[in-house]
Parts: sequence; C-alpha cells; structure tokens
Amino acid sequence: MQAGSNRFFSFFHHQLLLSALFASMTISVVACSKAPPIVPVDLNAKYPAESGGSLVDAMMAEPSGLITMIAGESAASAVAGNLFNRLLKYDKNLDIESDLAESWHISPDQKTITFRLKPNLKWADGKPITSADVLWTWQAVIDPKTASPYSSDYQLVKKAEAPDPLTFSVTYDQPYAPALDSWAGLQILPKHLLQGQDLHTTAFARNPVGSHYYKLDNWVHGENIRLSRNPNSVLGQARIDKLVTRIIPDNSAQFLELMADNIDAMGLDPIKYSRIIPARPELRNKLALYKELGNSYTYLGFNLKHKPFDDVRVRQAINYAIDKQEIIDGVYLGLGINIASPYKPGTRWSNPHLAPYPYDPGKARALLKEAGFSDTDGDGILEREGKPFSFEIITNNGNKEREKSAVLIQRRLKEVGIDVRIRTIEWASLISRFIKPDEKGITHFDVVILGWSLGLDPDQYNIWHSSQQAPGQFNFVGYHNPVVDKLLEQGRLELNPEKRMKIYHEFARVLLADSPIVYLSAGYGLTAIHKRVKGIDNPAPPAGIGWNSQDWYIPKPLRRNELSAN
Amino acid sequence: MLKYLIKRVLWMIPMLIGISLISFFIMHLAPGDITSNEASFNPKASEESRQKLREMYNLDKPVIVQYGLWLKRMATLDFGKSFASHQKPVFWQTSDKDGNITKGMIQEALPITLMINVLGLLITLALAIPLGIIAARKHLGWQDRSITLFNFIGFSIPGFWLSLLLMYWLGVVNNWLPISGLHSLNYESLDTWSKFKDSISHLLMPVLIPSITGLAGITLFIKNGMLDVLHQDYITTARAKGLNEHQVVYRHALRNALLPLITIIGLSIPGLIGGSVIAESIFAIPGMGKLFYDAVLMRDFPVIMGILTIGSALTLMGNLLADVAYAWADPRVRRGVMQ
Repeated sequence: MQAGSNRFFSFFHHQLLLSALFASMTISVVACSKAPPIVPVDLNAKYPAESGGSLVDAMMAEPSGLITMIAGESAASAVAGNLFNRLLKYDKNLDIESDLAESWHISPDQKTITFRLKPNLKWADGKPITSADVLWTWQAVIDPKTASPYSSDYQLVKKAEAPDPLTFSVTYDQPYAPALDSWAGLQILPKHLLQGQDLHTTAFARNPVGSHYYKLDNWVHGENIRLSRNPNSVLGQARIDKLVTRIIPDNSAQFLELMADNIDAMGLDPIKYSRIIPARPELRNKLALYKELGNSYTYLGFNLKHKPFDDVRVRQAINYAIDKQEIIDGVYLGLGINIASPYKPGTRWSNPHLAPYPYDPGKARALLKEAGFSDTDGDGILEREGKPFSFEIITNNGNKEREKSAVLIQRRLKEVGIDVRIRTIEWASLISRFIKPDEKGITHFDVVILGWSLGLDPDQYNIWHSSQQAPGQFNFVGYHNPVVDKLLEQGRLELNPEKRMKIYHEFARVLLADSPIVYLSAGYGLTAIHKRVKGIDNPAPPAGIGWNSQDWYIPKPLRRNELSAN
Repeated sequence: MLKYLIKRVLWMIPMLIGISLISFFIMHLAPGDITSNEASFNPKASEESRQKLREMYNLDKPVIVQYGLWLKRMATLDFGKSFASHQKPVFWQTSDKDGNITKGMIQEALPITLMINVLGLLITLALAIPLGIIAARKHLGWQDRSITLFNFIGFSIPGFWLSLLLMYWLGVVNNWLPISGLHSLNYESLDTWSKFKDSISHLLMPVLIPSITGLAGITLFIKNGMLDVLHQDYITTARAKGLNEHQVVYRHALRNALLPLITIIGLSIPGLIGGSVIAESIFAIPGMGKLFYDAVLMRDFPVIMGILTIGSALTLMGNLLADVAYAWADPRVRRGVMQ
C-alpha cells in the first residue's frame, strides 16, 4: 500500500509539475518577446515642427457608423470630424470662419445666404467637390427616409439652389439667426458615392470617403480605427501622419494603457487630474494636463407643474439654500465654474452682469416662510397646509458626480427644513417613465439632476419655449413665461450679433430671476496628453485645445517605434 | 434510442417558441426603446425624427404584433438588423449589390467568446480534476486543506479587482504582457509565429484569471464525487484483489466520480456563448457579453432576441447532449432511458 500510494503520488506530482513547466514556458516565450530599448529622451526640450508620427488615443465605445447625420453618438462625430468638412467652421475664438466655403453673403432681407465654394477642391478619391455635393447633402438630411435626428434646422430652408459648381444658396421663410451655426455643423458628403444608396444600410458608413485632413485606413470592429493623412485634404496637410483610436470600454484599463505609454491621450475625471497624476512623478514627467471649459452645465430642474415648485419663492429659496461652490469643490475638486446663465462663461452670449445666487440659508428660510411653510410640529421639517415639505430628487445612475451632488444638496436642504430622498434610475427608464409626459400630459418627477450639452449657437428655443412641452420635447420642466417666449422667438430672427447678444442677456436675466432650474456647475473638460505631442495651445482658447490639432506634431526622437510613418 | 432522440428534438421547437415569446414580452417590459438613449437626448434632435425611427422599426405597433413580425422573420432564419449599430446584421453577414460585405454582430463576437470560454473551461478541468483527486485521496491532510484554501481564495477574490492588479503589475510595472485588447496594433504586419505569440499574450490574462478563480466549484465537485466513490464496497474489493492504488483510483474510481461532470459540462454549454461582460469590458474584448449588455442598455431588440434565441437553443441542445452522454457513459441510466 505504501509503495503504491507513493507511486500514485509521484505520478501526479509529475503531471502537475509538467503542466506548470509548460505554462511557465509559454508565458516566458510570449512575454520575453517584448523588450523595448530604453533611449533617454528629453520630453521638455524644444523640437522644431515636422511631419509624421502617429497619435494613439482611446474611446469607450465604437461608433455605429461614420455618417453623422444618422449616427448621433459622440464616438461617431469624434471620428467623422477628422474625415469630413462643412461649409463653415469655428475658429479659435468661436467666430464663424470658412471651411469649404471661401465666402458667404447674406441678402438684405436676411432670408437668403449665398455660399461661394473654394475652387479646385477634391474628395479623397480625387473627384472634385462642387455645390452639387452640398445640395445633395442638404436633400439627404431633410429626406424623411433618412430620418436624421438633426434635420430640424435644415428643414427650415424653403429653397436651396446650386446655380453653378461653386455657388450654393439657401432661402428661408424668415431670417433664421442659427442658420450659420447649422451650416457649420453639416458634414458635406460625396454625391457621386452615395447617390441612390440607402443611407441606413450603405457600406459607405463603414468605409467613408471624405475631404478633410484624414481618411479611413482600416477599421477593425470592436478593436481600433485607423486614420491616415488624406493627400487631397482641402485645408492642407496635417502634421501627424496617423491617428489610431483604440476601443477600450473600461476607464481603468484606459488609464493603465496611458501609464504604460500605449496610448497618448485620455479624457480625465477630476480625481485623476488633480490627485492621481500629480502624485506620481513618472506620470507627471511624461503627461501634460489640459483643461478647457466645455459647453455644458449640470442643473437641478424643478417640475413646475408639481406644487410647491410652481411658486417662484420656493424655487429661489432652494437656490439660496444650495452651496454651489461646495458642490464644485467637493464633487469636481474645484474644476468647475459657478454660472448664472445657461452659456459658456467668457463667450459673448454669457451675461457678465449676472451673479449666481449666493449660499444664504437665512434668505432661504425667509422665502419659505413667506411662501407659507413653517415647522408646526417641531420635527425639523417644514409643513404647509399639513403636508411636510418632502420630495424626491432623481438622476441617472452611473453618473457618480450627479449622485454626489445630490447628497450634498440633500444635506443643505435638510438644514432649511426640507426633506429630500434621492433615487438613481437607469437612463432609458428615467427618460421614458419619469421625464417624458405620459398620454395625459403628466410628468412623473419632482426634481431631477441632469445636464445640458449645448451647441455654439445661443438659441435655446427647444428647451425653454412654452410650445416645447409635448412628449419627447425638451421643455419637460414645464416652463411657461411669455416674456421668455418672445425673447427666444426674437433671438432666432435677429442676425446682428450685438443685438442678438442683448436679447440673450435679457433672456438669461429673466431665467435667473424665475429660477426654473438651479445651475449647479459648468464643468471643465480635462485631458492628459503625452508630452511627445507638441504644438498644443495652452491655456486653451475658447474653442478648446483641439482647434489646431492639425498643427500638432510629434518630433522624430519622441516617436513610438512600431508605428513610425516612414 | 432514436425514438427518444427524435421526441426530444421535436419537443424543442414548441419550447423555443415559448421561451422566445416570454423573453420578447419581458424585454418589452423595460421602459424605453432605441430612441431613448443618451445620444438622442439632444436639444437639436427633434421628436419627429425619433417618431419616424420608431415607425421604421415597428416600435409603435402593439407588442404581440411586433412578436409576430419577429417570428415570421425567424421562420426563414432571418435574425434581422441591429437598431443601434447602423443596421448591421444581427447574426450573419450580408452583402449588398456592390458586393460589399457587412459582417454580422454575433458572427464577429461569438468566435472570440467561444475561444476564451472553451480554453478557460479546458484549463479549469485540467487543473480541477487533478486537484480534486489529490484532495480526495489526502482528505483532511495538509494537501486537502491547502487546495481548499487556494480555491476559496480564488473564488472570493473579485475577478475585476484581480484583473486590474495583474494588468498593472504585468503590463505597466513590468512590460511582460499587453494590458487590453485582442491584437497589437501592428498585428497584420507580423509573421505567423509572431501573430500566434501576440494572440496568446493578449489572451493569457482574460483566460487564466476567470478559469483559476472559478476552480473552486469543479474541484469541490470532483473531490466530493471521489470521496463518495472511494468509500464504496467495490473499491475495497478492488484493493483486496491486489490492484495497486493507481489502478484503483484511475481505472475504477475516477470514471464513476466523473459521471456528474458530464452533466455539468452539458449544462455549461450555453454559458460558453455568454461571455462575462465585466471581464470583456476590462480587457477590451469585443465578445458576446459586452454585445448583450450594450444591446440591453440601448434597447436594441433584434440583437437581444438574437442572443436569447441562440442561447436558449444551445441550452436545450446542451441538456439533450448531457442526457445522451450520461446515458452513454452510465449503463444504469441507459437502461432507465430505454424504458
């Protein structure tokens, strides 16, 4: 028995040992193949600009397609923005400038815009770009079969013409001030490749041909998208030769890749920007950090159809009771701005004379008392007509910043006698069950924390006009103010920037006084980019650091080995 | 036996229809549809266009009508096209009139998930069987205790946490393995041997971590099975006959202890196609887990139904295979089945 069991054990032991040996051999064979040479380079030295190199970045989800009039998600516009041009674009100070159109002329009655295209423009496949392409693109975006989500601006064009290959003109029923912004947003597609195709099923969406700095080299689905320089680029040549985007859904995995120098750029959250990267010398030395104000803000929105939020004193009281700087400092680590108007601070549309509601719990209590609230039973919660002032704040789950903001708000409101419960709900359910009015027109929420990510045109008709309260529209808070309605309508008709600015300043002033929402913060966009990428404009101009990405360059000594362009 | 098989296969058809009906209705219980995702919550996106999209996808019709339309398509094995991914075919590739091929979503995701799961299962079995046998043989000895300890530590550690730690140590601190993804960026330019090494190095962590942390269940199963068998009378008889321990354990005991394993493997066949969404997200692997999870969040009904249908078909077949294999392996069961 002894001898037998020893033999049995040794056989096993033998087997286990063999498999362990095999496993370690496999690992060593595959692992030892990577041995990058360590060449000391100075990342902070000055290098002259030169062409070539490749920039690798990451995104969390791949685009569904590269025709942005159909594929609305940000991943699609991020990639397609490198491939296609528009008629106009924004310069570093967020003024409109030419892209495909070398000039544009607005008729005296302000209803017709005539664009003059630059001559001798070519698509990446060498065919000429003409006004026929622009006309075709406009027809496609308003075509009901395309069902583009972004067609509303372009449907206002009553007549579009391309009288000669370099001229394109559009005529509106009434002067439409956001028109130029809409033409700075429509990516022009090649008619000769898309005519007769169904935009929803065409192979072009996965194999596009554009006119901008880059063209699509290869798209390995689910893994990476590779762009390389377009020799026929209409605006000249970019410096960096290849753009590679890797699809890495997990934020921590992206950060690990950034640390291992496998990707060059990554969007950051406040903790990585302020705490993690500055605390590690090896990261500080090779990554440059950038911050730029985005065009978005987070807010606490009241359901104006629910009592007591129909009372402006209650809304203002809550506005005074919330300490916004505390939210900015605690949730965003100071990387945000306390705003008083729904526009990006520093732009002409943002009213510089408005100040946000200060943190003033005394004033909050006074306003609530005036509105008829008092703590009759001494439990710390105010009541009115026997009902305690208690409500639910909802927000979408998965957004840690909004959840934390809700907790801070809950505490501040408790101090003035308001009881708040917090609930996080999955996005699609939030929108379809709580935010969207049901068949009877009733919206089922009290207070919501959400954010708006806005375009560059100041028009906010869709959000604040009283006609926009139907299911699926965006005035779900139920705001109805005839003064604001008039201002919004006027803002769309006024093409003169100075006069337009006054309209929207007044709009912001009325909105602040009415306080249908409480502005919580306008956050910064935070990015880390490896120091090998030079030529970045820092501090960021109003248009953000990406405005001149075509001028960024990677000096030869700093380039990554396996992806050198030459 | 043949009659039994035919009866089972025929029963699968009404069961599949029943499963798909229930799944379809449950799927529609969740509020929202493809038009209520975050991208469409954009003030520039008009409600009319969302309504048009709903009409295009028949989402405005009653649920039972939508189910009927889906069933009609499935009768010709047409799994339909994805709502969210720009009308990519759900299952198999299609080619348009110019000969351009668009690959199907399941066609792209399934092989990856299958390969990772099959490799993981094989490694788990290759490790669990020997470990279970040692633990049973040396029951209550230090080998048994340390194996149990090792298994339970692996079982209790959160997989994603361990993955991130190993990704950091093996990929960032030491440049031994790639951190995420399936292929290196220069994969196409490599020769065949380098391509093979590249694939292995990318798959090492995603395959090994789940299989080692999942060892506990099967090891315990084998160990308990072996313990049961080793206490049977016929084992004592075998030893009394003079057979050495090796023959007793391998030729006589192990076979009987492994019988329940057949059922386990048969039942895990549907699991082979359902990747872990957490592991796939962390390692940036475009597999079935991520596909299903994204489809649910986006309310991409054709993809959800496609994966559920394939999953239920595989579950039913896996059950059948497990039963048949068990009957083949165990004469006692075979006799019972025949009657």
